[in-house]
Amino acid sequence: MAVWLPHLALDTLVQTGSAQPGPLIIVEDAARPRVHDGNRAARRAGVRPGMALAEALAVLNAPVVVDYEPETVQQHLQTLSTVLLQFSDHVCPEPGQQRILLETGRSLRLFRGLEALEQRVGDTLRQLGYSPRIGGARTPAMARLLAGLGHPERPRDRDGLRRVLTPLPLAALPLPAADIAALRGIGMTRIGELLRLPRGDLALRYGTRLPRLLDHLLGDVPEAMPRFQPPENPSFQLEFDQEVRSTGALRFPLKRLLLQLEQVLRAWHRGVQGLELQLLHREAETRLNLERSHPGSRAEEWLELWSIRLSRVSLPAPVRGMRLHAARLLPVAGDISGLFGNPGGTRDETGFLTRLRARLGDEAILRFVPTLHPLPEQAQEAWTSEAPPPAAPASATPAQRAAGAALWLHPLQPCPPPGSQAWLGRMEGGWWAGGNDQRRDYALARDHQGRLCWVFQDLRSGQWRLQGFWG
Amino acid sequence: MPGLEELLTHPGIWRGREAGSPTVPTRPSGLAQLDQALQGGWPRGQLTELIGGPFGSGETRILLPMLATCTRDQRRVVLVGPPATPWIPGWRQMGVDPELVLMIRTATEEDAVWSCEQILRQPGTGALLAWLRGTDGAPLRRLRLAASAGDACAFLYRPPAAAQQPSPAHLRIRWQGDGDHLRLEVIKQAGGWLPRNQPVMIPRNLLNHRCDP
Repeated sequence: MAVWLPHLALDTLVQTGSAQPGPLIIVEDAARPRVHDGNRAARRAGVRPGMALAEALAVLNAPVVVDYEPETVQQHLQTLSTVLLQFSDHVCPEPGQQRILLETGRSLRLFRGLEALEQRVGDTLRQLGYSPRIGGARTPAMARLLAGLGHPERPRDRDGLRRVLTPLPLAALPLPAADIAALRGIGMTRIGELLRLPRGDLALRYGTRLPRLLDHLLGDVPEAMPRFQPPENPSFQLEFDQEVRSTGALRFPLKRLLLQLEQVLRAWHRGVQGLELQLLHREAETRLNLERSHPGSRAEEWLELWSIRLSRVSLPAPVRGMRLHAARLLPVAGDISGLFGNPGGTRDETGFLTRLRARLGDEAILRFVPTLHPLPEQAQEAWTSEAPPPAAPASATPAQRAAGAALWLHPLQPCPPPGSQAWLGRMEGGWWAGGNDQRRDYALARDHQGRLCWVFQDLRSGQWRLQGFWG
Repeated sequence: MPGLEELLTHPGIWRGREAGSPTVPTRPSGLAQLDQALQGGWPRGQLTELIGGPFGSGETRILLPMLATCTRDQRRVVLVGPPATPWIPGWRQMGVDPELVLMIRTATEEDAVWSCEQILRQPGTGALLAWLRGTDGAPLRRLRLAASAGDACAFLYRPPAAAQQPSPAHLRIRWQGDGDHLRLEVIKQAGGWLPRNQPVMIPRNLLNHRCDP
């Protein structure tokens, strides 16, 4: 199967403007700038790929002109190849042609036939914002040809291939214009006439390229397709046709990136736990990070979190593009919703904490884990991570109980001796740690404001200190 | 007078006597005096304002028996913006499971209100204790809505000046340390008749009993 993306350069741009877009052309920067592609409005006005920029400007009314960037197009082709890995293990991108080939022979049964598979591939790509043209045939060369022509036939054997090829015009062959002209010169108009000629003589006259092409088309000689290896850490990028000044407008392009991510992760059966979003400005970039408790790939979940996160960000400069980077990929366990929906509430539960974390920051949500330490100021540890805290000792130690059941801790500070106090207990501890030997008599004292203060007298120095509030 | 009877069936007319029965679900406070004054206990799915100062007079301790039942039911207890750090060994001695206690620090009042909303709407929440400083009006109404979406007990600690302002809260209580007692005055209780002149005096030493085995 061949997937051709004739307007890939256009697809990589996000239309941020109005619903009725004006003409937009993508220009290749060569010695003589020429049009690489134009949007629908531009094509309707008569702009064709390959046209000189000056001519295009003459027919268009104030078009948006964007530079053609081969690297970006390249990167998108890679991303799409990764996405298509969910349909076949043998994917082969052809960068120069903006085309991706898929070996689908082994996938047909899984996806219930070529038509159904084609539909799936097309839907997936269109959902991500691309406009593919798909051709399918027994040989890759033929699939390419059919994709380029938008031909509906799907020949499955040699006879079928021959039958479909015969009425096609010569110009459909991917050959240099000079070769086509030479063939026309000897009176040929259709491919069928060419197929009847002996290949050896064709090779003598026109070089080996033509007979090899015919062999590939008919499957007489197999064609080698290199296997595509997906990159380790996927990253996704979109550029805008206009600069974006508000975070609200970033939602739509971000959704597109997240959908791409979802498809790529689905191809790998992986999920991500943390994402990094880079907002590209004219000169600098803003980096935003998001972590959550369990790996997942669903675009809608991530979009909700990112919306909360983005609403807290003020843009230092207008944004020209964004790049999404997945830090590490993890196997997904519970991300597939079960047959009977979402049993229990555990996922929902962590989702709630993740939402809070996304807005307030990672350090904002704390749990306290009791320790065995007798000194109250060290009897608990703050735990900010989303992972479950380590198991705590089963109950308070006798030393901790000696200090009483106060509710609030205050940083230690000296206080005057109270007039009257209710004694709670004596606590001794820390003698095993060098120089940290402590003997304290804990008490409750009411201060002049009516608060119940949790105080102790240091038995070594005789000084009183405020430990916290009884609450 | 048939005309009057007819008029009284009009849905827009509300008669005070009908509202006497407590229809709001409650969680027992664990203190007999208080349960009586509150007609059953702390209201669930409603806002309760605890107005007074200064922090640390025993106003948290009156909630602890209720918080202990929350964690026993595997419900979460969330503290939003307390003025001090909770000392969890103490909470545990009062019967509260430390694993289910969550503290949330917020930089702004707006964040605090937003977090409270999220927490109240979450099904696993048993009780929310929030220390709010300047919040009134619209944010309080939002919190009330969020509280009614779940069934958690929502407590807002507010400074003494807040008693003078109107509030959409279901229950408003003014508290103050008074010698060996904590004095509680119910200043608003939706759908109930108040023993207005009788403050509830909770002996502070009564609050020191421990539940920890």
